[in-house]
Amino acid sequence: MADTAEVGTSPAHRSGHRRPRLDLTGPSLLGLPVAALVVFFVVPIAIVGAYSVDALSIRSGPHPVTLTAWRDLFTGDPFLGHVYLKLFWKSVTISLIVSAVIVALAYPLAYYLALSGTKRKYVLLLLLIAPFLTSYLLRVLAWKVLLGDQGPINSLLSTMGLQSSDHPLHLIYSRFAVMLVLGYIWLPFVALPIFVSLESLDRRLLEAASDLGASRLYTFSRVTLPLSIPGVFAAFLFVFIPTLGEFVTPSLVGGTDGYMYGNQIVDLFGTGFPDWRTGAVLALFLLGVVAVLTLVFARFLQPSQVAAD
Amino acid sequence: MDVALSSWGAIVLKVFFGLVVAFLYAPIVILLIFSFNNSAVPTFPLSGFTLHWYHQFLTNPDLQAALKTSAVIAALSSAGAVALGILAAIALVRHQFKAKGPVSALLLSPLVIPYVVFGIALLLLFHTVGVQRGMFTVVIGHIVITLPYTILVLMPRLQQIDVSLEEAAYDLGASRFRAFRSITFPLLLPAVVSAYLIAFTTSFDEYAVASFVVGSQQTFPIYLYSALRFPNNLPQVIAVAVVVISVSLFVVVAAEVGRRIAERRLGELET
Repeated sequence: MADTAEVGTSPAHRSGHRRPRLDLTGPSLLGLPVAALVVFFVVPIAIVGAYSVDALSIRSGPHPVTLTAWRDLFTGDPFLGHVYLKLFWKSVTISLIVSAVIVALAYPLAYYLALSGTKRKYVLLLLLIAPFLTSYLLRVLAWKVLLGDQGPINSLLSTMGLQSSDHPLHLIYSRFAVMLVLGYIWLPFVALPIFVSLESLDRRLLEAASDLGASRLYTFSRVTLPLSIPGVFAAFLFVFIPTLGEFVTPSLVGGTDGYMYGNQIVDLFGTGFPDWRTGAVLALFLLGVVAVLTLVFARFLQPSQVAAD
Repeated sequence: MDVALSSWGAIVLKVFFGLVVAFLYAPIVILLIFSFNNSAVPTFPLSGFTLHWYHQFLTNPDLQAALKTSAVIAALSSAGAVALGILAAIALVRHQFKAKGPVSALLLSPLVIPYVVFGIALLLLFHTVGVQRGMFTVVIGHIVITLPYTILVLMPRLQQIDVSLEEAAYDLGASRFRAFRSITFPLLLPAVVSAYLIAFTTSFDEYAVASFVVGSQQTFPIYLYSALRFPNNLPQVIAVAVVVISVSLFVVVAAEVGRRIAERRLGELET
């Protein structure tokens, strides 16, 4: 940080003032936050890297550095084949479906709030987003209760005589349950970036299109939709990135059918048959994919996309 | 004629909005109903009204210990995250320097890291260095993941505060610290409060990272998770869920209303 010079904000007229030499301002302010992140964020990831090549290991005795675990991930394990990449692909599919469906559901909601001219749009927006701000685990709990074999949905159906209580619908412990719960959890949040991009749209553009004879549908497809695409992309990525490494929801409502890549990583560090080297490889592979996505789409991921005011 | 929506379109969207809101709140309402239901399993038909489950969780020592642990962790980690966030936000908003791009990318990067990866990375760090896991290690994890949120809340507010107010203080002989304490901090306070609340609620609810670095003392989410895996006292957990969801909904709405009032006042002061 020594080479970073403070320029610009110091007006010339106060350069004559005497100030203490210990200047706790400027880039030196960053010392503590940056140091905290280096020690507790960057270094830990480097340690994962060290475990992935056996530079560090839980096994005692000498362990030469090896790329075996990395090679096994890409070329296939001699015993397991491409089991991890297949599981990763399954997680990608689940995340893609969830993100696409809820972005499609959230778009009309954001459109209604931003462009219908309703006076209570911020009250309605808060109503929509409030569930996102309550406990994540408890919202999963709600669905675990709802989807159970003897739960409210199944017992209501059998009370109404629509189905026998001996053969309940198997809703829970499935890939469907994982996608439903993930969609439920992220839906309120996804509306926000789309709302922000529609809200900042200049209404005069729509009026101009209308004056020039465009129908509403034509105006939407040629003006509104293209201008809101950055918000749609941001919304999509804000859901896709965290759900890709998800392990909590699948472990509670997924069973074996809903088992995701994140669960595999956790299990490799678990108490059963721990394999920290393979676990470290899988964790870094996930991190690499997320990092590439973030860098490629960085221009859509501006924090201002969610700073609705 | 409205250029964005026909009158029929507006009605269709309104109904759709209502349906989605119903979908979002229905599970919470159903939890509320079953928290008062006099049965050990949440199943229809309802079997009578009881406050038994609420009474039971109020007297459950494990649960209370877990709530207390989480409250302490959340209070400490959000104080740490807000303090670091203020330092970072001032440096990023008030100063120009060469490495600004990479530094802000580093400071915001915990936003996108998968929590399973960060949890394991911290676990391996503490394992390698030989640090005993406990409340302290969870606090560290939560400071890292909530720091970007505090920076994102503080930066826009800091940008609104006129630099000339601070410069006037320097011209009158105030030190940097004095100017911060007497001028900048009071004006930044509404954002500091929302940053603290966001960090607190995030930490209080955080399971994924905590599950890797927690010691023998359970946090509230970890207590909930184990209660969910082995649902022998499900109604009691449902009662807790209802209370926690209600309280957090109330805090969220109150914080939002408070922030708007505070900003309106500050806006009046500035004009």
